[in-house]
Amino acid sequence: MSDIDFDDDDDDFLYDDEDDFIDDDELDFTEIIQEKQEKKKYEVEYKVYSIQEIEDFQNKEIEHVANIIGCLKEHAATLLRHFKWNKERLIELYMDKTEEVTKEAGVIVDAQKLPKLIKLHDFCCDICCDSGEDVESIALSCNHRFCKDCYTQYLTQKIKIEGECRNIQCPSDCCNIIVDENTIKLLVPEDTYNRYTSLLIRTYVDDNIFLHWCPAPNCEYAVECRIHDSDLNRMVPTVKCKCSHTFCFGCGLPDHQPCICSLVTKWLNKCRDDSETANWISVNTKECPKCKASIEKNGGCNHMTCKKCKNEFCWVCMGPWSEHGNQWYTCNRFEEKTSVDARDSQSKSRAKLERYLHYYNRYANHEQSAKLDTELFEKTERKMEKMQKSSELSWIEVQFLKEAVETVVQCRNTLKWTYSFAFYLQKDNQTTLFEDNQRDLEMAVEQLSELLEEEIKPNKIAELKQKVVDKSIYVKHRREILLEDTAEGLKESRWTFIDP
Amino acid sequence: MTSKSLCVTRLIEERKLWRKDHPYGFWARPLKLPNGDMDIMTWQAGIPGKEGTDWEGGVYKLQMTFTEEYPQKPPKCKFVPPLFHPNVYPSGTVCLSILNEDQDWKPSITIKDILTGIQVLLNEPNPDSPAQEKAYYMYMRDKESYIKQVKQQAKDNAE
Repeated sequence: MSDIDFDDDDDDFLYDDEDDFIDDDELDFTEIIQEKQEKKKYEVEYKVYSIQEIEDFQNKEIEHVANIIGCLKEHAATLLRHFKWNKERLIELYMDKTEEVTKEAGVIVDAQKLPKLIKLHDFCCDICCDSGEDVESIALSCNHRFCKDCYTQYLTQKIKIEGECRNIQCPSDCCNIIVDENTIKLLVPEDTYNRYTSLLIRTYVDDNIFLHWCPAPNCEYAVECRIHDSDLNRMVPTVKCKCSHTFCFGCGLPDHQPCICSLVTKWLNKCRDDSETANWISVNTKECPKCKASIEKNGGCNHMTCKKCKNEFCWVCMGPWSEHGNQWYTCNRFEEKTSVDARDSQSKSRAKLERYLHYYNRYANHEQSAKLDTELFEKTERKMEKMQKSSELSWIEVQFLKEAVETVVQCRNTLKWTYSFAFYLQKDNQTTLFEDNQRDLEMAVEQLSELLEEEIKPNKIAELKQKVVDKSIYVKHRREILLEDTAEGLKESRWTFIDP
Repeated sequence: MTSKSLCVTRLIEERKLWRKDHPYGFWARPLKLPNGDMDIMTWQAGIPGKEGTDWEGGVYKLQMTFTEEYPQKPPKCKFVPPLFHPNVYPSGTVCLSILNEDQDWKPSITIKDILTGIQVLLNEPNPDSPAQEKAYYMYMRDKESYIKQVKQQAKDNAE
């Protein structure tokens, strides 16, 4: 099984070509290269497996167990599946109390022969009550014999309709012997058998807490990462599948570093419920100074009567109406103490809403900008293709833009989640560094994003490329610094999270 | 062999088996239609309460409805009239793992197995899968009244 490379291929490209654009500060880059090879604090160890690799691995394990126990591979497979592929435990318990283990797993290991279809002259099927010399029948090692038609129908029902695979028992009442893979292959049509094997693989991955399928559509890779649910409060296990989809191993959502899974779920729920409504309330309503009910003024004069608590107040100064005397349609009491107090208390409760909107708007902005950056790149790429045809530029020379856009999009994603992270973060001395890092990254990303929008002139392309590549490297570096700091903080429980 | 004839052959065989031998106090036969024909897909049965239990004395009437998919799928078993029992739905349908195709149903389970299985269930309700509120809550909270009602039910169903 192969390890996935922690170095991105794009980086290799940058450094392979470094002679083209790096002359004076080569030393700095060597440092980065060296750093790259080590695992970063925000990275986790993981492996990506193809279905074939999982099958090969299973076959190796099955063969191994069959050799040790001295049984048929089919029976070893059933035992392993029963023990959720915990080979050591299986062998230990098997040696200790063979009978109990095999009984529980539904295997009769003594049987050295696989079930075969035969014709018996005195056979009568207990399911369809069919009998006769020409009726083909089959029995597992438990000797419960049924006719081929009934058996096939039973297996098809289990596999196709119930989606069962590793726990299909003998059709006989109260018999828990498991129907082995070979018998299933013998009895069911090919498409049912294929469904059966894919169900086996699926259950294997589902059963294993360290394995998850890549959630990308149509992707058939599984990722292995040896972390527990309890680790998720102290880290964000981002993994990258061979299909290039980057996702969180903990919750399956797209990469959300540096924000931990529990906060991400909370945040997404809040945004789904709140953001639009909150925006509208903030823009269009004021609160009753007494009962805090949100009020929309849809016409009429400034004399407001709260429908909920009957409080009468002035819409302009928010002070009590009773003090307004006869000036019914104008208000010049803006600085009066009672009015100032009323507005103060209002602003406090609004502050909470505004705090949320502050973070939400920045979060949403990066999400939106990442989309625009990608669109911009697509436009540029079309232009590049044209330029390639007319000028001396080679394919490789115009690809730097693609690399840069990927960097911007990745960093915007990180930035996006720093705002969700910050929303739940208790401000203290520890958070200053985080905020500085966030600001530095944001500034750098915006600068790079701006460079990408520059008009591309063939004679200036070398200069632009130099600028873009330099900036990209800087931006990547800033992202690493931010993520290392937040990851370290999570590990050390440096952050305090609040529920605003 | 089509599934329809499989279903019917099996039921005819079950009928033969039952007539040859069946547990004491039980009865089971296909429904007789008004025109004198037999509906092999619908059976009526009587389950006696086990001796020495609060159910003793009553014979509880059950209707079994088989589908074309029998014996790959279990028959629907329904007490007519509905029974006071934690695992019997208000409609009379019995909630039992061997009668659930996703649980313990196997095509080799016979009508005799089903009926004796339900007889055991009568005095040994499964509190993990309640099917009716009244009997379930009484069984859980007020055993005395529960037993009283069960005994009354046995009297009402005496043959």
